[in-house]
Amino acid sequence: MFRYLMLAGLALFLPGLFALGYAVLEGPSAWMTDSRTFWGTPIALFVFWIGLAHAGTLLSAIFLALGIKLDRRTALIAELSTLVSLVFAGIFPLMHLGVVENFYMVAPFLDARGNFANVRSPLVWDFCCIVVYALLSLLFFTTHLKARVVPALDRYCKPMAWLLFPLVLWVHTVVSLDFATTFVPEWRGAFFPVYFIVGAILSGLALVNLLICAEGYRVRLMERLQLITSWILCAIWIWDLLFKGYFCTSAFIFAVLLPQFRMVAVIRESRAGRIFFSLSILLGLFLERFYLVSPLAGVPGEPGFGLVDLGLLAFSLGGFMMLFYAARSLLNESMEGAGTYFGEVDGSDMANVEESERSREKTHGLTLSYIQPWSSEEYKTLRLPLACGFSVALLFVLWVCAQLPFVGSPYENVEVILVNVLPLSYPVIAFVAALVLACKAVWVDKAVELGRNSYVALAVALVALAVLAGMFYAGGAASRPDAVIAEAPQYGSEIVDSAHVQFVWNARCAQCHGVDGRFNDKFIREYYPVPQKLDVARIDSLGLDSLVNVVLDGRVNMNPYRGRLTESEARALVVYMRSLAEAP
Amino acid sequence: MTPLLNAFACLLALGCASFLWRKGSSPYRNGALLAGFLLLFSVFTYFGASDTVVTDPSLEHYPFRMLALCLCFSTTSLGIYRRRYLVLAQALWCWVELFGAIALYYRGCDAACVRIAALAGITFGSTFLSQISREMEFCLMVFWMAVWVFF
Amino acid sequence: MDRREFIKSCSLVAVMGLLFGCRKSELLGDIASQFSVPELKRFEDEVKLAMSRAKKSLDLVRVSAPGPLKIPGASPVNRFGMAIDLDLCDGCGKCILACNLENNVPLVPAEDATRGRFMHWVEMRGNAPLMCAHCGDAPCEKVCPTGAANHTPDGISAMMYKRCTGSRFCGANCPVHARKFNFNDAQSLGLARQFNKEVPLRDKGVMEKCSLCLHRLQNDRLAFKTRNPLSEWRGRGVKTACAEACPKNAIVFGNWLDPESPLARLAKTRILYAPREVAALDPSVVFVRGRR
Repeated sequence: MFRYLMLAGLALFLPGLFALGYAVLEGPSAWMTDSRTFWGTPIALFVFWIGLAHAGTLLSAIFLALGIKLDRRTALIAELSTLVSLVFAGIFPLMHLGVVENFYMVAPFLDARGNFANVRSPLVWDFCCIVVYALLSLLFFTTHLKARVVPALDRYCKPMAWLLFPLVLWVHTVVSLDFATTFVPEWRGAFFPVYFIVGAILSGLALVNLLICAEGYRVRLMERLQLITSWILCAIWIWDLLFKGYFCTSAFIFAVLLPQFRMVAVIRESRAGRIFFSLSILLGLFLERFYLVSPLAGVPGEPGFGLVDLGLLAFSLGGFMMLFYAARSLLNESMEGAGTYFGEVDGSDMANVEESERSREKTHGLTLSYIQPWSSEEYKTLRLPLACGFSVALLFVLWVCAQLPFVGSPYENVEVILVNVLPLSYPVIAFVAALVLACKAVWVDKAVELGRNSYVALAVALVALAVLAGMFYAGGAASRPDAVIAEAPQYGSEIVDSAHVQFVWNARCAQCHGVDGRFNDKFIREYYPVPQKLDVARIDSLGLDSLVNVVLDGRVNMNPYRGRLTESEARALVVYMRSLAEAP
Repeated sequence: MTPLLNAFACLLALGCASFLWRKGSSPYRNGALLAGFLLLFSVFTYFGASDTVVTDPSLEHYPFRMLALCLCFSTTSLGIYRRRYLVLAQALWCWVELFGAIALYYRGCDAACVRIAALAGITFGSTFLSQISREMEFCLMVFWMAVWVFF
Repeated sequence: MDRREFIKSCSLVAVMGLLFGCRKSELLGDIASQFSVPELKRFEDEVKLAMSRAKKSLDLVRVSAPGPLKIPGASPVNRFGMAIDLDLCDGCGKCILACNLENNVPLVPAEDATRGRFMHWVEMRGNAPLMCAHCGDAPCEKVCPTGAANHTPDGISAMMYKRCTGSRFCGANCPVHARKFNFNDAQSLGLARQFNKEVPLRDKGVMEKCSLCLHRLQNDRLAFKTRNPLSEWRGRGVKTACAEACPKNAIVFGNWLDPESPLARLAKTRILYAPREVAALDPSVVFVRGRR
């Protein structure tokens, strides 16, 4: 069964891969973009997959945190589906960029390389949230998986669930802010955070229900929740209709109307019926996101869904099936031999478990004596990591906001206030807290023994990270080697008079090097890393000829000027520069 | 939204809250009630708006704020885990207000900083509650109403 | 070969195909760049086509004269802008062509043209030219993730092409859709022509829009600073290409903060308007109509 699903996934994935390659090569004109929002299918798919990516952490972490019983097998399936969905949710925003190779400029690496991501932009929040969410989900999944072998890890599951609970909601809130903060009339909505979260929960539930249908069992709790969530989403859509006069009928039919047939017992009890509900909800929500991202889709005169769009859809669907079932069978083997099961299943009917759980809780609740505030076990585990997280986040926010008043600071021209950086705060807190928690678990509490291999892997990862950071910091050439430099007007004759040199210096060089030869700090700090200071000793040690070559052929961030300056002009400029350096 | 209707919205939320989480009620009942309340609040906002909803961006998340307030009120009648759900409901309200304010800020509206700060404060403060007595319940409700009506 | 091996090799082949497809085709690029640059006639025709498809409505509301920018680091003496005199403008469209030639705005392929997806920085709306309003509180700059859309201290909403990563967020957030995205590699398609050496040709995948002829201002400033290094530059005497080309002198370029600027003088006697969508965003480019 799983093998066939995997092969079906592969069959969808391969043509999709070609569509993806074509789309990356061709750029955004390859797929459907409407003339108003410029985004189109990849962002619709991104919102769709990031919604699905909430299934795991939502069900697993939130249920765990709130003490709602969910069996381990379902939880692990949900978590794995999160990780796989995140892979695709991560690909689409990257591939939709016009200049894909510049994607790193979105990451707020403080002011390394003089590159400042604009922390006011919801896209930057998005980037950070998703990266942190992916890392933490992976950590949570591994902990959950390993907890079976290493029981000492079990006590870290719940604290991590509490850490992830806000994060998972935060991620989708930030995704919704991509839309809600804009002036696009269809995207007006201060209620978008709640709307997106409810949509994400519904699609996540539908996905997990679908996946466990494929496993051959069912969890009634989640089917119920799926139905209830669809009602709430419907209410939100009605508000949207009242408020904008806009209603996505197809999404309503698929995501709300059809799933109501769950109330019919015959359909509910058949597996095909349950699969149908889940598929219908997923389709409805995909259509909803599609129309949300491209409000003009389907309007006459605008292009419709094309082959590449279908290819991208196939790529993500097929890729998901392939990766999910590949990972599932791989983990199955390493975990439990060649068994069919993934995780444990105790064989008892989930509904009975729920019932007994509820009655137990009721009797327990009546005799519940009061609990001291801030006394729970989870909180004690999380205390130190959270404190670290909060302090780092506070430092970060202060760093960003306090840059403002200083002249020459990167944010000198940008007004950054608390509202702009607040959405970045929780991901920072969660990331630092998880890091501290992991370190604490490994080295202080010694909950897990890291083997020799793990240490080697850690060291390799650290070295790779350091190398990457170094490469990023050093940067590459400022101009592309194949850049075509246009024919430029030639200045004057071979004999260059001093007024002309001064004019050329002011026109060409002063922008960075300053009229007086001292740097134009503001410009340089904004656009380039700070270049070498050119004092007399350094100029003399480099020599006239080599500097002329630098002017003509460029060096690191210095642009080449051959074709725009004659050689005699370059020579005269170097002499002029030396005279500037000599001046007091 | 006129101040009178705003105050009435608060009462409406309080009234609705008493129907939630009755003892032995099924999740279907509670879910349907939540969806129904949201619908009710939407209609209330739509017809209660002094101007049309379209021209006043600050009404965009009004029904959701009402729902969050309703959830806050409803937690006081819970049997067990009251403090936990109290804190969560207040966090939800805070969440709706905060991110709604951020979205509106980008579109040129001023954020209701005092309200958000007050909510964040009471959310944090109520984690320290050890036992929620009747008096404390009353105080909390009055505080929420004050936040709703005055800030 | 067992099934797993087969799957593995299948996916390897697919990935290699993908990589091969992504490789920049140097051969094709060379051939394309040897195409002759497009003729001027094609630019003129495209402007006519764009004008025939222009939107008819322009919803204007009254605004007050722009003051100094409120962003930190803004110049207290310079804020450049324009006013378009609707009493004089007859919608001839000469400004569009002048702008295209000045700023090397590329042509678009026929497919885009039928969709109305032109690159023109100035477009006709309601029989008047509409371009980027250079809002003081620019929504495009707030959402640009890399800071490629940024304000100069002189009040110009500028675009750094090399830092643009093409997320197109700014384009979605511009209420008047003044931003244009380079969907095509105009240079290799033979659709771009560098009429003006001072303005670079833009690469595929970046956003562009009206720059208020930034290069003209920069040249004037450099020349001014070279001649009088100590005095304050106010950008007097500079005109944008569209203002220069307007046969009726309906487009007035100037410095809002300089009382001697023609723009500031005009604002004293006329009523200022801006498109409704950007009126609350402190626009620098406005319309004038009627007398006070």
